[in-house]
Amino acid sequence: MQILVCVKRVPDTADAEVVLQPGGSGIEEEDLAFGINEWDNYAVEEAIRLKEAHGGTVTVATIGPSESEDVLRRCLAMGADEAVLVDGAPFRDADPYVVARGLSAVAARGAYDLILTGALSGDHGFGIVGPILAGYLDRPHATLVTSVVPDGKHVRVTRELEGGLEETLRLELPAVLTIQTGINEPRYVSIMGIRKVRAKEIPVLDTAALGLAPEDVGAQANRIVHTGLAAPPAGKSAEMLRGTPAEIARKILDIVKERGGMA
Amino acid sequence: MPKVLIVVEHRCGTVKDATFELVTLARKLADASGLEPAAVVIGHQVAALADTLARYLPRVVAVDAEPLADFRYETHAAVLGDILETEAPLLTLAPHTAFGMELFPRLSVESGFPCATDCMEVDTEGSGISVTRSVYSGKVLSRATLASAAGYLATVRSGSYPAAVEAGSPGAVEQRPCPAFPTPLRTEHLGYREAAAAAVDISQAPLIVAVGRGIKDADNIPQAQELADRLGAVLACSRPVVDKKWLDKERQVGTSGRTVKPKAYLAFGISGAFQHMAGIKGPGVLIAVNKDPKAPIFAAADYGVVEDMFKIIDALKAEAGA
Repeated sequence: MQILVCVKRVPDTADAEVVLQPGGSGIEEEDLAFGINEWDNYAVEEAIRLKEAHGGTVTVATIGPSESEDVLRRCLAMGADEAVLVDGAPFRDADPYVVARGLSAVAARGAYDLILTGALSGDHGFGIVGPILAGYLDRPHATLVTSVVPDGKHVRVTRELEGGLEETLRLELPAVLTIQTGINEPRYVSIMGIRKVRAKEIPVLDTAALGLAPEDVGAQANRIVHTGLAAPPAGKSAEMLRGTPAEIARKILDIVKERGGMA
Repeated sequence: MPKVLIVVEHRCGTVKDATFELVTLARKLADASGLEPAAVVIGHQVAALADTLARYLPRVVAVDAEPLADFRYETHAAVLGDILETEAPLLTLAPHTAFGMELFPRLSVESGFPCATDCMEVDTEGSGISVTRSVYSGKVLSRATLASAAGYLATVRSGSYPAAVEAGSPGAVEQRPCPAFPTPLRTEHLGYREAAAAAVDISQAPLIVAVGRGIKDADNIPQAQELADRLGAVLACSRPVVDKKWLDKERQVGTSGRTVKPKAYLAFGISGAFQHMAGIKGPGVLIAVNKDPKAPIFAAADYGVVEDMFKIIDALKAEAGA
């Protein structure tokens, strides 16, 4: 089975302070740690497990700046066979439609039975690159996938619905799947592992190599036009409890008792 | 008059709650921008569902056919594509759920209508559409417009608008024939699977101790369990803890896990992603402990503590034991 996994390098903003650039055009990136998008990490792991169980190859691809090479090397260390970096300069400020257009050109270079990507990205989180890519390639898709079992010329998947409910689907191959977190336990990548793939060549493709015209991928091709970032409203905002941990603990217990949470 | 359509999400004969939030948005757009609101019900034997929606909106379009019994993006996109062509709505809305996320991006490609997803606000702007979304772990709001097109699509985050109440006079239900599907269909719905029967039921607990990503390691789970035991609480968690297999799925609070309505909810090291917060209902008190003062959970909590969660857990154990 030939598998393509589309990944993205994103900033880790869950535990970091996010500072807006003046004017709200973007965020300050200097102090943020970047790495593989969490959902994509599960997608890469799933692809490698499928290869280990059923044979085939795993190719990882990303569109981004040269720093994205670190993310691709990490995927190679996990067990991917090949990696492709698409020069991100023409894709600056690209929306998910333009990203999917670029990825569809990457997909067209191979004969992939399965294309995997994360169900969501941790930065803008539209969650639509996968199904749009499937639309551009005219292939069946399933989103929010929590298990993948190849079945001859088909693939059987479960999708996560709400409240602990899942649905089972059968898709004709080739297909595009977007992978939900928790589908597997991604393997640990050691420094040694990354060193071993240090010499592996990662081709860098430009738009010409992909057969794309500059107007296909420039900001004017965006369907979702970003107009600015802003700080979220303060909301009702919590009353902050202060003091030593012991004082805070007593206050918490008082509140819980008063509200009937404990006797 | 330009139209706003909402695509009704339903499963096993029940309209999902998120649909009624879309009704509120559609009515708001009707009042503010003069859009004509209507609901679209797609399925099999959906007459009762269509009648339900007619109590909320002046017009309901129903497409009822056996192959539409279980949702598949292929069949539903074909039906909606046909409706978009004849109805020519300015805006078509779906909830940002497993239903909307599967259907609308593909419908966007097939119809050529641009789609904004996971929107917290949707508004008309001139002859177009503007949206507000939450990005970068809920720490930033992003505003966007959709590129000029004949029509627009948007999926809306659950909880962004209050659920609507019934309208004074019932609306009209129109049946539409089911169009031909693309052949051959390449997806097949095989069935639903309930999560295994839970050994723990967190949904009825009056006191919940919940841990998130801040728990950092499986080895720290016993500390939280010990606190829960000492307080007579149940231990629950947010998604990252389940993804890492540190706790079972039955303890997950949120859209893909359980909905809880405790008298008090103690959240330790939980950032406050909307998928988690959507699982906490009712008038109970929410106390959040997080070392990040900018964590979105502090905007939703009643009480907040900016501190290392383990220090507070230790102090609570000591105080509760005293």
